[in-house]
Amino acid sequence: MIIRLAWRNIWRNKMRSMVIIASVTAGLFAGMSIMSLYKGMMKSRIRTVIDTETGHIQLHAKGFMGDQDPKRYVQEDGNKIIKLLKDKSIRAIAQRTITAGMVSTPNGSSGVSIIGISPEEEMRVSGLGKKMRQGKMTWPSTTRGMLMGKKLAKKLKLTVGEKVVITMTDTADNLISAAFRIQGIYQSANAPLDEVNVYVSRKELQEMLGLENQVHEIAIVLHDDRLLDSTTQWLAMEFPTLAVEPWKALSPETSLMAETVDTLSYIILVIILVALSFGIMNTMMMSILERRHEIGMMMALGMGRLPLLVLIMTETFFLTIAGIPIALVTGRTAIQYYAKKGMDLSGMGREMMESFGFETMIYPDFPSDKIAFIIALVFATALVSSVVPILKSLSMNPVSALQK
Amino acid sequence: MENTVIDAHNISKTYDPTGIPVPAIRNVHLHIAKGEFVALVGPSGSGKTTLLNMIGGLDHPDSGNIIVNGTDITALRSADLVKFRLHNIGFVFQAFNLIPVLTASENAEFIMLLQKEKKAKRAERINGLFKQVGLLDKKNTRPAQLSGGQQQRVAVVRALASKPQFVLADEPTANLDSAAAFNLLDIMAALNREENMTFIFSTHDQRVIERAKRVITLVDGQIVSDSTKLPL
Ligand SMILES: Nc1ncnc2c1ncn2[C@@H]1O[C@H](COP(=O)(O)OP(=O)(O)O)[C@@H](O)[C@H]1O
Ligand SMILES: [Mg+2]
Repeated sequence: MIIRLAWRNIWRNKMRSMVIIASVTAGLFAGMSIMSLYKGMMKSRIRTVIDTETGHIQLHAKGFMGDQDPKRYVQEDGNKIIKLLKDKSIRAIAQRTITAGMVSTPNGSSGVSIIGISPEEEMRVSGLGKKMRQGKMTWPSTTRGMLMGKKLAKKLKLTVGEKVVITMTDTADNLISAAFRIQGIYQSANAPLDEVNVYVSRKELQEMLGLENQVHEIAIVLHDDRLLDSTTQWLAMEFPTLAVEPWKALSPETSLMAETVDTLSYIILVIILVALSFGIMNTMMMSILERRHEIGMMMALGMGRLPLLVLIMTETFFLTIAGIPIALVTGRTAIQYYAKKGMDLSGMGREMMESFGFETMIYPDFPSDKIAFIIALVFATALVSSVVPILKSLSMNPVSALQK
Repeated sequence: MENTVIDAHNISKTYDPTGIPVPAIRNVHLHIAKGEFVALVGPSGSGKTTLLNMIGGLDHPDSGNIIVNGTDITALRSADLVKFRLHNIGFVFQAFNLIPVLTASENAEFIMLLQKEKKAKRAERINGLFKQVGLLDKKNTRPAQLSGGQQQRVAVVRALASKPQFVLADEPTANLDSAAAFNLLDIMAALNREENMTFIFSTHDQRVIERAKRVITLVDGQIVSDSTKLPL
């Protein structure tokens, strides 16, 4: 009966209730859109990290990541590594010889990571071929070629065909330098990396460093993201002398960002709901003041504090949660549409997005994992919004409320 | 006395909203027995509403006691007073009696619902009373579609449905034309006879007063006369 009374009371002022229900719907819709956008952005960022930066897992000699000392190469026999390629969870691996060095040109110089690669391996592991903007990814073995990021090329005012000098320390601690000719310019989604990573032939770099065919890094790509944890564990057991690190450890800023963005999207939702709760509370207060004679009459007849509290709370809940189903359905539909079509955010500033490592085309992803939490938050909003109206109605005095 | 319903002993009430004390009820003694049909009359401002509110447990006297069916309601805490009203006292007000979003019968069964009476029992009682007051065809009508007299009859049904100790009606006919006022009084008188229900109603309508068996006159918060008509 109280439920029926509450429901009918909501519709006494249809316009006013519709405005509140519509604002809750719009607020939830906006909140879910933002969450979906964030989730889509993070998913694509993680995709980019895995597919073009780190791979799923990398193996290094312990300590190499700290100082990039070329003497710390992976000391494992080749057969064991070849065995890796045969495991059914692993799709591809790329072996890299890496050292820190300095690129110098008449226009200036810049510290870089010199990465010796095999182009075929990189095609499969980091998609380097797709990042080429000028020139080619391969070159005859007679020329010492180099691939440079667009950002660094721009900084040093270099184009394809020009020569640079690279200085580095070999494994015997000799300072060596050699001239390389830029064969190609690449551009990834992560501009800061484009400024430090230069690619050369693995074979040539090994020779210069005084290595035979040793490498410093083995990047591994899996068939499925879900194999990450089990494969990481298995590799750590298999190679106890190596540092086996998943992408989350290799790109801590990405996993930190994913967590931050998660928290941020909750905060945005909470802010929206707090704003809405003022509207809900205000509407309930108006409704109660308009009905003060009626509420006083019910109290006079013997309606206790508890039934009155339940009545006002139920009304607030109806008003608040009526928007949930509409918001969920419309939100889901809209988000799924954009999830297929994609959302072009280059208007927000391509430069800015790229400097943070984001693609400008976002495919929003409906936050299905957060629905229960969103609904719980809306219920909490209803509860919070009902407090003041309940206190107001309980403080009413039947005698004065019954007077004209 | 075993058939006493209300025994008010030396009650006084002074309002003091502006710093100037206004005595509303002064040293009133009142004794009402089961089955009485009492009119409380007096000019506007004489204290009728104040007295009825105190007897009904809506307001506290500054001094004196009110015993309702053996319970001193002036000693009850406010939560207990709410319960006491729910189970012992029927109310009909001058206005704002009905909940506009409920139908006539939903309004009528409101108190029985708060008392958690079973559906069948509620329906039986409400139907019987609606028949008696001639509103059976208006059961599912909302208050806005009822005339003022019909609305007051629904309020009377609601007050009686839970079989309280007595019914208090503060100027129940004030907003009605004379035909509707007489009709309401006739219905109340009939229910007083048939159910032996005690009614105490206030009015300043001379024609309504004539229907009462006992007339108590208040002036300036004091009872100036209390006369019982002998049955003809
Ligand atoms: N809530 C109140 N605050 C102050 N004075 C009041 C209040 N209620 C009634 N009074 C005063 O008490 C006196 C009796 O009022 P009331 O009981 O309403 O008389 P009646 O119902 O006979 O017209 C009047 O002088 C009135 O002004
Ligand atoms: Mg009055």
